[in-house]
Amino acid sequence: MRKLPLLAAFLCLLLISNSSFSQNIRVSGTVLTSAGEPVNGATVAVKGTSQATFTTEDGKFSLSAKPGAVLIISYVGYATQEVNASREGMRITLSADTKGLDEVVITALGIKKEKKALGYSVTEVKGDELTQARSVNVANSLAGKVAGLNITGTSTGPGGSSRITIRGNGSIDGNNQPLIVVDGIPLNNDNLGSVGMWGGVDNGDGISSLNPDEIESVSVLKGGTAAALYGSRASNGAILVTTKGGLKGKGIGVEINSNYVVESLLLPEFKDYQYEYGIGSNGLVAANQGDQGSSWGPKLDGSNVTQYDGVGRPYVAQRDNLKKFYRPGGNFTNSIAFSGGGEKLVYRLSMSDLNSRSIMPGTSLKRDNLALNLNGTLSKKLSFLANVKYIKEKNRNRPRISDSPGNANYALYVLPTSLNVDVMKDIKYNDLGNEREWSNNPYVQNPWYAVEDFSTLDTKERVIASFEPKFNFTDWLYVKGRFGFDKFNYRYRGITPTGAAFQIGGGLDVKLRDFQETNNEVLIGFDKDLTGSFHLNALAGGNMMKRVYNNEDYNGGPFNIPYFYDISNIDPAKRGLSYVYSENRINSLYASVDLSFNDYLYLNVTGRNDWFSALNPESNSIFYPSVGISFIPTEAFQMPEVFNYLKVRGAWAQVGGGADPYRLNLNYTLSGNHLGAPVAQINQSEIPNSQLRPFVSTSSEIGIEAKMFNNRLNLDFAIYSRVTTKDIVGASISQTTGYGTAVFNVGELSNKGVELLLSYKLIDTKNFSWEPSVNFGYNKNEVVSLTEGLTRIQKDEPRSRTAYVYQEVGESFSQLLGNGFARNDKGQIIVNAQGFPVVENLVRFGTGISPLTGGISNTFRYKGVSLSVLIDGRFGGKVFSGTNSLAYGNGLHAQTVAGGVREDGVLLPNSVNEDNSPNTTVLTAQAYYSYLNTNMGEEFIYKSDFVKLRQVILDFAIPSRVYAKTPFKGVSISLVGRNLLILKKYIPNVDPESTYNNTNAQGLEFASFPPTRTVGVNLNLKF
Amino acid sequence: MIRKIFAALSLFVVLGSCTKDFEQINVDPTKPAEVPLAYILGQTQLMIAGSAGDPGYHTWRANFCYSMPIAQQFSTLGTFYAGDKYLYQPDLSEAYFITAYPNAVKNLVNLIELGKDKPEEINTVSVARILKAFQFSIITDLYGDVPYFEAGRGYYDRVFQPKYDEQQAIYMDLLKELDEAGDAITDAQPFPSAADFVYKGEASSWKAFANTLMLRLAMRLAKADPGAAQSWAAKAIGKGVMSSNVQTFAIIHDGSTVNSANANSYNLGPYGTEAGRKEVVKGDIQWSKVLIDMMKARNDPRLPIIATLNDPASKAPNYVDGDNSAANAKGLPNGLDGNRLKALTGETTAEKYSRPRGVIFNADDPNMFLTHAEARFRTAEAIARGWASGDAAAEYSAGQEAAIEQMEGYKPDNPATDDQIDDYLAANLYPNGSLDANLVQIENEMFILTASTLNGYEGWASIRRTGLPAITPTNYPGNQTGGTLPRRLRLPGSEAGINPNYKIAIDRQGKDDFLTRVWWDK
Repeated sequence: MRKLPLLAAFLCLLLISNSSFSQNIRVSGTVLTSAGEPVNGATVAVKGTSQATFTTEDGKFSLSAKPGAVLIISYVGYATQEVNASREGMRITLSADTKGLDEVVITALGIKKEKKALGYSVTEVKGDELTQARSVNVANSLAGKVAGLNITGTSTGPGGSSRITIRGNGSIDGNNQPLIVVDGIPLNNDNLGSVGMWGGVDNGDGISSLNPDEIESVSVLKGGTAAALYGSRASNGAILVTTKGGLKGKGIGVEINSNYVVESLLLPEFKDYQYEYGIGSNGLVAANQGDQGSSWGPKLDGSNVTQYDGVGRPYVAQRDNLKKFYRPGGNFTNSIAFSGGGEKLVYRLSMSDLNSRSIMPGTSLKRDNLALNLNGTLSKKLSFLANVKYIKEKNRNRPRISDSPGNANYALYVLPTSLNVDVMKDIKYNDLGNEREWSNNPYVQNPWYAVEDFSTLDTKERVIASFEPKFNFTDWLYVKGRFGFDKFNYRYRGITPTGAAFQIGGGLDVKLRDFQETNNEVLIGFDKDLTGSFHLNALAGGNMMKRVYNNEDYNGGPFNIPYFYDISNIDPAKRGLSYVYSENRINSLYASVDLSFNDYLYLNVTGRNDWFSALNPESNSIFYPSVGISFIPTEAFQMPEVFNYLKVRGAWAQVGGGADPYRLNLNYTLSGNHLGAPVAQINQSEIPNSQLRPFVSTSSEIGIEAKMFNNRLNLDFAIYSRVTTKDIVGASISQTTGYGTAVFNVGELSNKGVELLLSYKLIDTKNFSWEPSVNFGYNKNEVVSLTEGLTRIQKDEPRSRTAYVYQEVGESFSQLLGNGFARNDKGQIIVNAQGFPVVENLVRFGTGISPLTGGISNTFRYKGVSLSVLIDGRFGGKVFSGTNSLAYGNGLHAQTVAGGVREDGVLLPNSVNEDNSPNTTVLTAQAYYSYLNTNMGEEFIYKSDFVKLRQVILDFAIPSRVYAKTPFKGVSISLVGRNLLILKKYIPNVDPESTYNNTNAQGLEFASFPPTRTVGVNLNLKF
Repeated sequence: MIRKIFAALSLFVVLGSCTKDFEQINVDPTKPAEVPLAYILGQTQLMIAGSAGDPGYHTWRANFCYSMPIAQQFSTLGTFYAGDKYLYQPDLSEAYFITAYPNAVKNLVNLIELGKDKPEEINTVSVARILKAFQFSIITDLYGDVPYFEAGRGYYDRVFQPKYDEQQAIYMDLLKELDEAGDAITDAQPFPSAADFVYKGEASSWKAFANTLMLRLAMRLAKADPGAAQSWAAKAIGKGVMSSNVQTFAIIHDGSTVNSANANSYNLGPYGTEAGRKEVVKGDIQWSKVLIDMMKARNDPRLPIIATLNDPASKAPNYVDGDNSAANAKGLPNGLDGNRLKALTGETTAEKYSRPRGVIFNADDPNMFLTHAEARFRTAEAIARGWASGDAAAEYSAGQEAAIEQMEGYKPDNPATDDQIDDYLAANLYPNGSLDANLVQIENEMFILTASTLNGYEGWASIRRTGLPAITPTNYPGNQTGGTLPRRLRLPGSEAGINPNYKIAIDRQGKDDFLTRVWWDK
């Protein structure tokens, strides 16, 4: 019922809109560059109105305007011009922007603003930067391109999620990722299945579904001010994705893009494994299957040794198991878009099809995107924008990572030196047709069994739709609505096959997820010159957000009829069924006022109030303000000539935030019955807190932007601070409380940092140019306080439980703490009576999140050929490597043979007994390194720093004269490569970026999907 | 125009202030805010048995991987069952600790809190107090000093870092609780019969269980605090311990669902038809040489019930039961791997050794945690020590008979005949000799009793307290104890960081390793 008045109001507006029409004239023309090339997509706006259009492929535009109206023509990189709207057939020549004054960027609520007017930092990435050297998950394509934006993709291959943070981590425990907004509609970016210490599958997130070909631009709103209008969910900033709209023009414009890349192992061999000693235990060849797990056997001597299937084979090193197992992968993307339209309606329809074949045998991904964008001008007063996107994704056999079962990667990391993975392919079944166990651990499958017999299939269908009517009361007052939703259905089916060693009868796991978020928003806007010098732009509005999840799961096992995988084939008593419902609402009111003075001084003030359904009803609302100032000295004063443009900005903002629903009260789970009696238990593993109230994040920033030396030098610099207080934290607490976590409003978390973007045109001649560009962000993060009596909280632990991720007072976010070597005051390692190093609990190893990130790009252009090379890196963080730990335990790591320890044993140098006498106990290598695996975190802490050759694009812009006589209007071909080389790293055997989930516990690596390199070609045709 | 603007503006206010139903929206419609306390009582029994939640998670790790092989009841060639070789596997060692508190402890504490002031819940609450005491007795026996008084109270008291209590204080409170809770059970109030998965509503049996557990715990103190041991043992016996096998404390399972199945079936064997870890049929677990030799020497009629060789025609990982004759039974020595066995016997696998027979770990088997037989043996011990009056030999014989007869709970196809029982009793008489000689026989019986009921918690605890039977520790390369018997399990490493009281406990009790002895073992 609440929607009814809104609808009525809107219908009223529709009626009013027909009432006023005056005589307009037709105005049309062509927009060209100074070189005479047509400008595609320039904005042609009628000054003082909201009426605007874009130029077509051939630079043409057409609109109707009052006689004497002024047209404002703008295009990124060119100076904005104002001309009188006089007639048809106008020719407008844009000159390159020499002052950088008039760049227009998209800001909160989709409002386009001149960049110079902003008191905060916004970085815009154009769509074509995401499409050439594309990544299946578009978020990963942003890596290294925006200062202060930190992107970590989970190491799970295509279709996985990514962890995006802007200016560090603002919440100790809550969501730290920015709000993703697609054409004005918030996109659910939840990770549909995340991997933990016990393994699992990353089922992707929201942004991973987007089609890069549809993207016009991505605006990264970094500061709190930028996001203040989006409310609580943008407390970590916002990423605004604007998709391409239609262009008016004759006929139908067609654009075709094809992209094909091949994917291969970036690290095709474990460089730091040993290949001298084979399968076995205590220096002897495995006597039985129970000893088959590890490589503590004798020296590989080529002799005939019985393997786990009872067949003798030469006892030799197998160096190429990775190459033998993983296959060449590839992604093939084809997209086509049609656009066109006339006076009343402009449209763009695009379709895209992505087929990805993973390097993991049996794993593939298919994604189809369909998008329709309509832009209608129904009358002078009434216009609308409508967007519908449909996305269908199908993932077959997503790779499992971290712990097993079913994780083929895990098996490859622990495969004994002397086992040939090719041989294993032929012997994966035993005589009964069941899985033949190759080791003493039934949870680690033969990798072929893991990928060929285990199976998963998940599909996601998603619709994102928005409708935005706008009614202009006058040329300075309008009302606008935005009604939209993001809805998806997700279906997952996982099968443990009949005959799996750890579950011989097999099992079925089905998950159905139904999500919908609706946002209904109405705002009134005011845009007017107050006097000659002052201009006022103000708006006020309200939004209602409703977010609902319906999750149904059913599962069970064993299957009655072997190999027939359906729920009906499972005894009803052995089925599980669960249903979870969650609903969350936020109501909001907001207002924003922009005041400008003489085009050189800008003031922006916003305020917003949110009401949260998930918080304590007594304190579920919060008001938060923001203010931003921008000043352009080059406009205000006569400045030295070296400055072509200078802007100084500053902003201060607060953003409030809420929590997930149902965290206030204790309730119960009904767990079926036993012997006819119903049974139940407390539902929560988190101690609920009825007093939860909103948290507050306060951020401030100052920055300068400059163009100097005839616009050759471009600089954007920011210093910021961000403090979160009363954070809503679900902290790990002692299990002895009965609960794993407790939720409370506690503490303070601070982020301080700098961001720099600097580019310089070293060479800029007619035929050749070279422009290097550097961006970097440094973020210092500190957990300032937690709750009283609490100095640290545990966030996560790896499978080995020898290192932990903590949030600790006085330290930076995501601290790695764990078992270290106990040392005496001389620094000597202390050993116990058995000769093993004594464990010192909770030694601090550093942060799992690198404070310094950056990228260096070089763009070279020679005539029509351009080459861009992006190198990026990350510095200052640490990672605990579960993979290397396991390689110690299994006698695979090179360290386990170094210095002849297999023969001579290990006598720790410079170590002492607990009474400080010299240690003389010699341990076998197997005993010592196995002990390190299960007891010592310190040994497996590495710097996660890296420098990577992230991206190379060689682009051939084929001059238009070449295809002038063809139907083509534009042709470009590029050769692209991503993740080409790791130039520097410190962690052996694995990729320093390997992380198995995107939670707030960063710094843990375990049995990940191996990193890949992609190389391919991108072809773009327009006609 | 102005009016239209105001109309639109007033819409916003309507929008923002429509929060009246927010409180209702934030109530989870799929989870009740209250349930009958009996529902919780029922679930906590399944949690203790290990079948609720992740089936067999902690029972497998704490009982089968550590307690039984350490006690040299189970034996294995692999390193997976780390207790056999005194190796440390963090997730095995901490499993009981991190599972018991968030499951049985939390829900029992909650139940007691909700029902403590309701007269009509007195029996439900009393049973819960007894169960809680039982649960904590296993926790503290495995780890020593642990949080007790503040444990499980995170929701009520918002204590996030519970203090570790000294085991002595824990034991004294457990004994007090058993005393009070047993007495509090009354006919004057309703009894939660349907949710009683042990005695099916037989309230007097709960009293007997409380007293028998009191006796077990009292005898545990024999080394550390003989005075307390004596007075509590006398009290327990005086109040009346279990008097028949019907009163054995065993969680009853019907095997119909995972939650309703005996967790041992999930771990050892195929649960139901073909799910589960099937550790036995894969050939990973054998009976130890110590146990089989002892049972053979005593001509124990339980041997063909609990032990079998593999059918020679069957293969790993699907061994089927074969020859279960006592004559051919053969136990595997502890602390070996394939190569060590090879050096000893020339064999490379344990497929020719006796292993648990399927009949004792079926999905519908009862999970026996404290038996009537134990009540008799512990009474015999109390008499032998002069802490109670009575006929120790008679108690001992009654215990033997009860122990053999209760194997019928597993519905074996070859239950011991009366003649076999008589022969066994006659051949294995109570020595009526020195205390040491008497204890040797009592503990031999306890050893076989706890092994045959798959109760390594009690098996290992008895060996630690009495040193009987006198098993020889193994000394596998890389073991954590230097070849001596482990005395406790290690706590979760996470406790060191999350709970500052951990350090206080370790400083008081001794290093958090396998060698530190718990208080009653000092």
